[in-house]
Amino acid sequence: MVYVEFSTISKHFGTSVAVADLDLQIEQGEFFSLLGPSGCGKSTTLRMLAGFVKPTTGQIRVNGRNVTALPPEARDIGIVFQNYAIFPHMTVFDNIAFGLVERKLPRAEIKQKVDAALAEVGMTGFEDRYERELSGGQKQRVALARVLVIEPEILLLDEPLSALDKKMREEMKYWIKNIQKSVGITTIYVTHDQSEALTMSDRIAVMDQGRVLQIGTPVEIYEQPASRFIAEFIGESNLLDGTALDVHGAVCSIDIDGTTVTGRLTQNNAAIKGQAVTLLVRPEMIRLHSLDASEKPKLNGTVREIIYQGSVVRYRIQIGHQHVMVEVANRPDLARLDLDDDVEVYWNADSGVAIP
Amino acid sequence: MERKIPLPMLILAILGFCYLLFPILVVVLAGLTTGEFLTFPPKGLSLRWVISFLNSEKYLSAFFFSFKLALMTMIVSTILGTAVALFIARSRFVGRTALRAFFLSPVVLPGVVVGFALYAFFITSGLGISRTIWGLWIGHILYSTPYVIGTVGASLATFDVSLEEAARSLGASPMRAFRKITFPNIAQGIQAGSIFAFIVSFGQFEVSLFLSAPNSEPLPIAMYNSLRYKFEPDAAAAGIFAITLVIASVLLTNRLVNIRRLLERQDG
Ligand SMILES: Nc1ncnc2c1ncn2[C@@H]1O[C@H](COP(=O)(O)OP(=O)(O)OP(=O)(O)O)[C@@H](O)[C@H]1O
Ligand SMILES: [Mg+2]
Repeated sequence: MVYVEFSTISKHFGTSVAVADLDLQIEQGEFFSLLGPSGCGKSTTLRMLAGFVKPTTGQIRVNGRNVTALPPEARDIGIVFQNYAIFPHMTVFDNIAFGLVERKLPRAEIKQKVDAALAEVGMTGFEDRYERELSGGQKQRVALARVLVIEPEILLLDEPLSALDKKMREEMKYWIKNIQKSVGITTIYVTHDQSEALTMSDRIAVMDQGRVLQIGTPVEIYEQPASRFIAEFIGESNLLDGTALDVHGAVCSIDIDGTTVTGRLTQNNAAIKGQAVTLLVRPEMIRLHSLDASEKPKLNGTVREIIYQGSVVRYRIQIGHQHVMVEVANRPDLARLDLDDDVEVYWNADSGVAIP
Repeated sequence: MERKIPLPMLILAILGFCYLLFPILVVVLAGLTTGEFLTFPPKGLSLRWVISFLNSEKYLSAFFFSFKLALMTMIVSTILGTAVALFIARSRFVGRTALRAFFLSPVVLPGVVVGFALYAFFITSGLGISRTIWGLWIGHILYSTPYVIGTVGASLATFDVSLEEAARSLGASPMRAFRKITFPNIAQGIQAGSIFAFIVSFGQFEVSLFLSAPNSEPLPIAMYNSLRYKFEPDAAAAGIFAITLVIASVLLTNRLVNIRRLLERQDG
């Protein structure tokens, strides 16, 4: 069931266009991410849903109700800000109680709900602390508790992990996802970090310059990126330039420096025959040692760089005038290569994606 | 003990302190003189002129008139200045900086100009408020409000708007969000601004010169008028009371704000 719907939403600031003709449909209970580079309009989109920014055109519906003209306090939406926005003059208890006090709940009920929320985020015992007495991760938990305690229809998170250090970020990523799952709340998550989006989301919308480029599950976005921009933005990519030779349904044969390889087309597009295409192969999809003689295609290359990373070894391989990065698991059954070794480069026919 | 600031800075700071404290010392000592005339250093110390001030109908009434005027000015300037500062900080339009400069201009305009302009306006407009406490009040508000705009504007510049947005999103109306979130966080700036407004009004001279009524003079005008004819130390004694009042008002507001904070923390 569609729960949140943006229809032809756009936002102009003076002459600059922050969001253009946005159409989004988000399901109930879904964890939906807006992913894109800085300045692409993610926060503006979120803030329009929260009611802080008025769209220039279009309509936003939540649960069938048109909320476009409603002020934030009438929307029943919880938002967690990048800097958490913990009220500095109030204790943790009063911060979490704020929304309940505004809803004029009886004192005893407020106390009981705040206690439950504190327990849920693992902050019991911190009631009397002030913002300045909390670490980044603790502020994060308080900010989330403050929002969840009012049981909003939608949870909005604007880059909630970007102020934390790397280790904390990893930890909070799973923690937020677990809480979201157990509460079952429809969540929209803004980030410019593709790994966050891939790990946490049910679906991702990739944005650039105020437009949505592709919407899909993490698997679809990663394995079938619709454009070169998305391929480069999400994960690490090897992009090989070639010419489309022939198209059979969703399979395209491509000439790369005289060798014919195949790639999947993300959309049926017979018209690209004879034109320049880009072949995307992820570093971990490439093999340097054939385990199966039937594996196609086969390109000849030379090892130009070796990067040892413990669990994996990365090789930069030169193929003709192009280069690919290859990531190989560091296992005893896979022989190590040396600089300037000549190698044969393979990948599963399904692992190459032809991008027009 | 470890010294936190470099030595040359420390020396400059001490010099600065002395420089700023010297006039106060002059006033206090001159007011405590035993002699007949206003001199520095004083000829012996006594409370003679302090007592004379307390018995002087002219100075006492001027002192309380100034006090009342400064209080009235403070109240209006604080409300007006806070509103203007909020407006400037929150609205996004071209010419916002120009507007800020415009609102701050009474600070840079010579008081004589402001005083004369208002006087001329009151006279010619026939409002009937020239040389009344109302006209004087208007002049003082005009002169004091920019200080409130300045201090409140500064505290708004460091106030994170997302705090207010968070409150709105949690169900607070704009008014409630201001009262419960924004106001407590800019209270220091408002407090500083109101003290400024009080002090500026209490010590205001040029505007008062044009706008005050002959029978109800603020303290600086009363002092000036009396010193024009005789160089008596009761003017300095009045100065002692003025200084005491200013220091007391600063301490008192500090205390009041702290009490308010304490109360706020208790009523959950
Ligand atoms: N209040 C505003 N006034 C003018 N321009 C704005 C305003 N808010 C955003 N913009 C512009 O709109 C565009 C999109 O901004 P937005 O904050 O939505 O980007 P973002 O995707 O969240 O970026 P980031 O990852 O850096 O947070 C930017 O070019 C920004 O400069
Ligand atoms: Mg943003």
